[in-house]
Amino acid sequence: MWLYALQRFGMALLVCVLSVTVLFCIAYVIPGDPTAIALGPRATPEMREALRIRMGLGQPIYMQLYHFFSSLLRGDLGVDVWSNRPVIDIVKETLPKTMILAVTGLGWAALIGIPLGCYSAVRRNKLDDRIIGIFSIAMISTPSFLTAIYALLVFAVTLNWLPAIGAGEPGNFGDQVVHLILPAFAIGFAWVGYLSRLVRATMLEVLNETHIRFSRAFGLPEWKITLKYALKIAVLPTITLLGMAYGGLLSSAVFAEIIFNRPGVGQSALAAVNTRNYPVMMGLTLSTIFIFTMCTLIADLLVAALDPKIRKGL
Amino acid sequence: MKTLNLKRRHFLAGSAATIGLGMVGLPTAWAEGKTLKIRNYADIQNLDPAFNTAQADAVITDSLLLGLVRMKTGTEWGWEKEAAEEIEQVDPTHVRFKLKSGLKWSNGYGTLTAEDVKYSFERVANPKVQSPYIDDWATLDHVEVHDELSGTIVLKEPFAPLWTTTLPGWAGKIVSKAAMEKLPDQKFTTTMPAVSGPYMIKEWVPKQRLTLVRNPDYTGGETAYYDQIEVYPIEDEKAAEIAFESRDLDFTDISLSSLKTYKDKGMQDATITEHPALSYVWFGQNQENPALKDPKIREAIQKAIDVNTVLDAAYFGAATRATGIIAPGLVGHREANLTNFDPDAAREELKAAGAEGLKLKLSFLNKAEWVAAAQVIQANLADVGVDVTLEPLDSGTFWTIGDEKSGNSWKDLQLLLGRFSMNPDPAWATAWFTCKQVGVWDWERFCSKEYDQLHESGLRELDPAKRGEMYVKMQDIMEKSGSYLFLTHEATAAIYRNSVAPALKPDGTAVLWRFGAAA
Repeated sequence: MWLYALQRFGMALLVCVLSVTVLFCIAYVIPGDPTAIALGPRATPEMREALRIRMGLGQPIYMQLYHFFSSLLRGDLGVDVWSNRPVIDIVKETLPKTMILAVTGLGWAALIGIPLGCYSAVRRNKLDDRIIGIFSIAMISTPSFLTAIYALLVFAVTLNWLPAIGAGEPGNFGDQVVHLILPAFAIGFAWVGYLSRLVRATMLEVLNETHIRFSRAFGLPEWKITLKYALKIAVLPTITLLGMAYGGLLSSAVFAEIIFNRPGVGQSALAAVNTRNYPVMMGLTLSTIFIFTMCTLIADLLVAALDPKIRKGL
Repeated sequence: MKTLNLKRRHFLAGSAATIGLGMVGLPTAWAEGKTLKIRNYADIQNLDPAFNTAQADAVITDSLLLGLVRMKTGTEWGWEKEAAEEIEQVDPTHVRFKLKSGLKWSNGYGTLTAEDVKYSFERVANPKVQSPYIDDWATLDHVEVHDELSGTIVLKEPFAPLWTTTLPGWAGKIVSKAAMEKLPDQKFTTTMPAVSGPYMIKEWVPKQRLTLVRNPDYTGGETAYYDQIEVYPIEDEKAAEIAFESRDLDFTDISLSSLKTYKDKGMQDATITEHPALSYVWFGQNQENPALKDPKIREAIQKAIDVNTVLDAAYFGAATRATGIIAPGLVGHREANLTNFDPDAAREELKAAGAEGLKLKLSFLNKAEWVAAAQVIQANLADVGVDVTLEPLDSGTFWTIGDEKSGNSWKDLQLLLGRFSMNPDPAWATAWFTCKQVGVWDWERFCSKEYDQLHESGLRELDPAKRGEMYVKMQDIMEKSGSYLFLTHEATAAIYRNSVAPALKPDGTAVLWRFGAAA
């Protein structure tokens, strides 16, 4: 297991380095002069040149990449070009908010989706299975931004039960939880359907396997067979999916952050791309890549821990 | 007789509800006191008046720092005294001022003096400081300090925008010399070392909220009504509108596309206000592009576009047609355009110029109103036989396509939709179309010596009537070049609770510290 973990960790590190390198190159290829955007029409050519030097844009790209990685090893992600704030501070402010949003969104989806899928499999082809199936597909088909807008209009504007914008009062846990409800609901909504369908499909496969039939023959209670034996196996692909989904949600949280005006990686990264604020852009992208890779790694290690066969091949 | 039958389950449910309420916090309205919740279209980036990055910064700086004079609120552009007790232009190059006594800096930096005024103005004018607003003090020679409270601003030559934009604007804000000299490089970004205005920053949570509270050391006269102003940076207008409807905001700008909806549905406890904006939007043609070199072709294209239909599509009827680049209410505003929609004439002129079947590309910022405007223009030009391809671009790309230093895209640029915002002086509209701006911000590559001379003279002419004639002529020259079709100055709209009395400049810009309660 340790060797497997070490190999997976090395692979994850390689993925991080390669992704950042590719993104770094792409960022410098896209058109748009950050000095013109940042300083506006009133800037003199001297001012623009000074900013270009401060941003290191005059150097060849390989030198810029070298400086980026060497600074990274010292824990320095650079400085926001416009506000002079360290990028690491911006990452520290935004990343936890996006991570919490993604965890909550996926968390409630898993809490409802997995049992729903399990129940569906047990009640295969019965009326309730069909109803769950229809609702699951409907949830998958509903675009998340639409869920977000309708949730806002119903719960914030019409009923006035929940706040429409922001992430809550800093230091006020209750307020932060209340501000989390609508965006988490919006980004997790479709995942309830996904998870329910996936768990149902894998459960049906497992429930037909020989060892389950043996268990039934031995007279074990149905609930025990379902929850203790079948679900344990059926949940494996779900764990992998959750790892991938979490990483995906980090990036798809951008729409929720814009609609709910919630500070986070997505909103800040979008603004950084629009203003060609390269240090912030790279810092936020790097942190997202890191989290995504770590989630996938943890999911793989969990699956390997539950299923020893996996450890044999990387 | 009923008895209280409290079961374990009821007790647990009740406890959970109590704990839940405690976590969530009771409704906060009753505890807020006089708090104003307002939207800013972006978060602050740099509050140093010499380096404000945008209006989002300036709107905050305005409540923190004083100037000698300030812009008036209301419907007409003008200025009034702020830190100055007396201020007078004694001759075209000398402005004498005397400060009010007892104006204080926060954080123990003493009183506001003429030395602070000298430091602040000369700092912006100093090329070594590299302030983007150096042109506001383009003709400043120095500031003479007579005593603690009085001094004279000495100019090298007359400067007409001094009273319209420099003194009442960002470059006219006074910072504390003592506080600034303690800072590395004598610069700050979001932590202001000392304030003299009615408010000070209590807390800034980046991307979430900026809280202003009364400055206890403020002795500037007119006091602010609200104890606290919470400023929420909300970039998306639609998100701000929803926040207003859900009562998370007391005041917000609204998009012109929502204006009609709000008017139609009517909100019982809210008021909508509309203002003509200062910005100017135009349709431009790159006159150095081979396809558009012939002025006859450019003139024909000018005539082929139905501006009123373009505006209806883009602004839902909320914006009126512009007659130039200088908005109504400002010196130099033009009464009428020289060119009008005439597709038949356009067809004939294109035929005469041998430009039938012309293929062109229209570049514009990828925003809903521009897309709508571009589509109408595309249809108008198709009607006269010009095939237009639309090129919507993200802001990062768009704002560099005509810039020679950013690559070669300026050579391929043909048609464009441009929009500049400006300060309330005509010189800030005409400055971007001089010959030295070709390939910098003048992407139509229009260059006229007569225009340049008029621009230079306009900066020094202090008689508003004579100055007005100059700017009218400059806009005529622009339009006659065929490279420009003036579309609109846009409009701004805002919505606020009936309990709020907003303080707005003529273009709808909020002056936060002067907001009050409705009578």
